[in-house]
Amino acid sequence: METTEIFQHLLTWTPYLLGGFAMNIWISIVAMVIGTGIGWALASLRLSSHPRRVKISLVATEFSRSIPTIVFQFYLAFMLPSEILLPYFKTIISFPVWIKAALALAIAVIGFTSDNLTIAMDEWKKGNHHAAFLFIPSWTSYALIIVMASSTASIIGVSELVSRCNTVINATGNTRLMLPIYLYACLFFFCFCYPLTLLMKRISRQLKLRYGMES
Amino acid sequence: MTAAQAQTVKTPAVSERLALIHERGAIIVGVKTDYPPFGMLDANGVPEGFEHDLAADIAKRLGVQLRKVSVTGSNRLQKLQEGVIDLVLATTGDTAERRQIVTMIEPNYYASGVTLFMPPTANIKDWADTRGQLVCATQGSYFNRLMQQRYLMELQMYNNARDAKLAVKDGRCIGYLFDNTAVINDLANPEWKGYKAPLPPTLNTPWAMAISKSEKGTEFERKLGDIVADWHRNGFLLEREKAWNIPPSKFLADTSTLWKKDDADGAAHCRRLADGSWRTECRNQVFLTSTDVGGLAQLGLWLNETTGINLTLVYDSFDRRQFFFGLLVTLALTVLCITCSLLLGWAGAVFAESRTWLLSATARLLGTVGRMTPPLLCMYLLLFGVGAILSESAGIALPAFGVVVFCLSVYTGAGVMTALLDAATAYRLQHGEFRLHFANTSQIARLASGSVTASLINVSKATMMASAVAVPELLSATTSIINERGNVGVMMNALLLTFLLIIFAVVRVIRQLEQKILARVA
Repeated sequence: METTEIFQHLLTWTPYLLGGFAMNIWISIVAMVIGTGIGWALASLRLSSHPRRVKISLVATEFSRSIPTIVFQFYLAFMLPSEILLPYFKTIISFPVWIKAALALAIAVIGFTSDNLTIAMDEWKKGNHHAAFLFIPSWTSYALIIVMASSTASIIGVSELVSRCNTVINATGNTRLMLPIYLYACLFFFCFCYPLTLLMKRISRQLKLRYGMES
Repeated sequence: MTAAQAQTVKTPAVSERLALIHERGAIIVGVKTDYPPFGMLDANGVPEGFEHDLAADIAKRLGVQLRKVSVTGSNRLQKLQEGVIDLVLATTGDTAERRQIVTMIEPNYYASGVTLFMPPTANIKDWADTRGQLVCATQGSYFNRLMQQRYLMELQMYNNARDAKLAVKDGRCIGYLFDNTAVINDLANPEWKGYKAPLPPTLNTPWAMAISKSEKGTEFERKLGDIVADWHRNGFLLEREKAWNIPPSKFLADTSTLWKKDDADGAAHCRRLADGSWRTECRNQVFLTSTDVGGLAQLGLWLNETTGINLTLVYDSFDRRQFFFGLLVTLALTVLCITCSLLLGWAGAVFAESRTWLLSATARLLGTVGRMTPPLLCMYLLLFGVGAILSESAGIALPAFGVVVFCLSVYTGAGVMTALLDAATAYRLQHGEFRLHFANTSQIARLASGSVTASLINVSKATMMASAVAVPELLSATTSIINERGNVGVMMNALLLTFLLIIFAVVRVIRQLEQKILARVA
């Protein structure tokens, strides 16, 4: 296949692939919001003065750290119904598969937030505000890890970037397109993650410098 | 039997699913799009095929819209159980095992057998020649296990037909085990010029539409059965077979003749008995069974019948072996990935700190790219993208296991590298002129150990990704048992528990090693 032809193919499918990548980001946002919320609650419990609460939080954190995301994705895909017909209201509540993927990713975020926010909140209480602020860049870096991990949602059938690559290859029946299209998908991830990583590095350095002088 | 007697057929139970279908005004049918001419995408990407015509007719007769969901051999029954689809109409063989999981609609609407799709150079003349050979197959096919037991072949499982056929092309296996109906179409395709399927079809099995197990004996099952019976009687199936240029099937011709037959009293020969089932001679007599019933197995079956818990994992030697082999593969992957990640990350960090500008820049660039490439994408890229080119130009087949270890190790190694470099930077704040070497790494070990350990624990959690590229690890073994047995709850809990144990063990071992290393360093 000619190079120009490959580029034409890629160009044609770009909107479709971008739509898939938007799904990756959307899943990641949902996972980060849910995971951070629950993780924050666990972190607050960990700093509580009741030993029992601390213990409950520690056990919950340990579990969320140990459950592999992919296994949990499959677990939810199999065990959660995808539609529930409410008998009296006659409405259908649906659990689309992307929500299951996001919930599975959120489990990992809970563990991360619980651990890191505990440290940050502790530092804040001690008055080390600069150390507490370091939570923000590390949280963002973790969000990028989640964006990368969201590609595994393709295994349970979420129509995100990687799964759309496979769809395009199948639809065109063109096996020569495989290498360019997967490389193209890599580029999506790189172009999204690289600038953000640089930005977070800079913010983190500046935080350290600025508050480092104050303290 | 008189016409009056024939009318006293028991009224079927009310169907929740049918109510749901009418509520949403559409029936969701799982169909294939990778199995021409039964189910495929046309030039514009619109799904069509023999089975798509059948699905359209069902929707028309039920008076609802048709919504099609593309399914594969490995997920069609799962999707039915998850409730994502109402009906599976996707080249599903009607077997005794599957009847334990779902409700098969009688009568059967088509039939197929198994054959081996082979490259032009293959010289397998007989099924017996496949003994001990590596053969590609798709996950969820009813014949996988039987063929494996009968011909002692080794199966390499793929998620879909495309991946399996590409594996044959790349020389990763001697051939692809598939339905003779599907192979006929591939052989006619110019892409597979010279490929052949000379072995006589074996294990001939009729196909059935399937609905959820809980819908057995309902109005939904009754309606669908009546529709298929009508297709046989009015020649719709034969006419569609011809329209899609499918070589005439003996099964379809025989079945249609049987269903068209009238009794002396003018009533149809094949009709429902009082309990709602079809007359015995019109039903599918031959079910394939592969369950050997003996001591432990009997106990397991008894437990299944009384409690509904199906522990095939414990009593079925085949499932047990599959699961434990999966466990071994997962453990091997874990150990290899951890070791390689650590070595790659360490080497990467040392090179990145090198005085040679070119070496340092290359290491840093590779580290950044590695950290920002999702491992799953990397596996597809290497195995299918690069793999296809390598096999075409040099005849080399990339091993899936190696590719998985490589991709996971590169991703995690990049994380380890970053952790080491960060630690080196922190160390420099206090010890000005520090530069990382293999020899002085111990000085930053304490600073880096936390993040490095976290990365290594993460890679052990990620090894299940290997199931996406046909490495027979634990997740892959579990889904393949579920496909066959339908014991979703038991298997999923067993899988989650096993993985929790593995991760706890890995964490313990890594922490202990970490302590030992730190103690020695100090």
